[in-house]
Amino acid sequence: MSKIISIHSFRGGTGKSNVTANLAAQAALAGKRAAIVDSDIQSPGIHVLFGLDENNMQQTLNDYLHGRCPITDAAFPVGRQAGALEGVRQLADKHLWLVPSSINTGEISRVLRDGYDVNILNKGLKTLRRELQLDYLFIDTHPGLNEETLLSIGISDNMVIILRPDQQDFQGTAVTLDVARSLDVPNISLLVNKALTSKYDPNQIRAFTEGTFEAPVAGVLPLSEDMVDMGSADIFSLRYPDHPWSKELIRAAKTILGLS
Amino acid sequence: MSGIFDRLQKRLELESQEEGISPLDLAALPPLLRKIMRYMLREYELLYTEICEWADDLPEAERPSRADLDAGLDALSRQFWLIKRGEGARVRYQANLRRKAGSKLAQGVWSALDNKIAAQIASKASPPSQAGEE
Repeated sequence: MSKIISIHSFRGGTGKSNVTANLAAQAALAGKRAAIVDSDIQSPGIHVLFGLDENNMQQTLNDYLHGRCPITDAAFPVGRQAGALEGVRQLADKHLWLVPSSINTGEISRVLRDGYDVNILNKGLKTLRRELQLDYLFIDTHPGLNEETLLSIGISDNMVIILRPDQQDFQGTAVTLDVARSLDVPNISLLVNKALTSKYDPNQIRAFTEGTFEAPVAGVLPLSEDMVDMGSADIFSLRYPDHPWSKELIRAAKTILGLS
Repeated sequence: MSGIFDRLQKRLELESQEEGISPLDLAALPPLLRKIMRYMLREYELLYTEICEWADDLPEAERPSRADLDAGLDALSRQFWLIKRGEGARVRYQANLRRKAGSKLAQGVWSALDNKIAAQIASKASPPSQAGEE
């Protein structure tokens, strides 16, 4: 049975989409069938990490929501496109799909103006899991709490909350955790990103975070100049698997997804 | 021209959308109803018999009696959070989420934005004027 993994952060800029893409890539690399749905319809971005732009994106989640195609037509098989990025190319013979949201200004404006039928989104998620025979469905959401975020929390098996070691993130994470617990999410874990591990001991950051939230921390990812330098132009853990950030991400993926 | 049945069906669908559950409503539900609703949201649409199979497979401590399960399904259907269809052995339930509301910004703001976007697209589509054409 496929598992739904929803990835959240209360605030923007935590590296949520980057972490989501890397977790899903590691699942695919381990031989699992995985898909990512970019439900951040108002500010989509995860497609960039897979080398997609408006020209090569074809069908999107918006096309599905507006009845222009079945959701499986909007599921883009990652790594198989000509000129795929170096890291992404490693997924060519794996099973990872991305359902991107449109970056067409008119499409974003239409969703903001008219809203949409959330039942269609929900039905699409079920169809994807069944038709693509997924082991994991990852849902990348808009920061904070809105309809898509709450739906993905409500239906998820595992919820991952990304936070930075920052007072604003800590307060927001407490809110998100309260909502997740009230919705009976079976497995909740935290993932600390952009930690200043050159100055602070990651084990202390982990212990402090776990103590504060009474929730397990799946990993403490270091703040990395190399990651910033890449500028979301590839899947970092595939391109640089021996980098400390990647090693910690891979450890976290094993914990969250139960990969061997 | 659509028949009366089609128009009634459409009206019912619209009404049911307005009455649908918002994910935050889940938090306020009693534990059994929340468990049923969470499962229905994941599965979207199921036969009654499939829901019974799921309930039978729950750990003993969480397993509802058939009467409690039926009462829960009825309560959720009355709220229009589940839509019940069919009869007898073919009864099925579908989760019904509330439509995501559109923006409450004044319509003029969106019209202005639409016009700007359309103009921008049109200017991209038309070939640039050649230097020295005039």
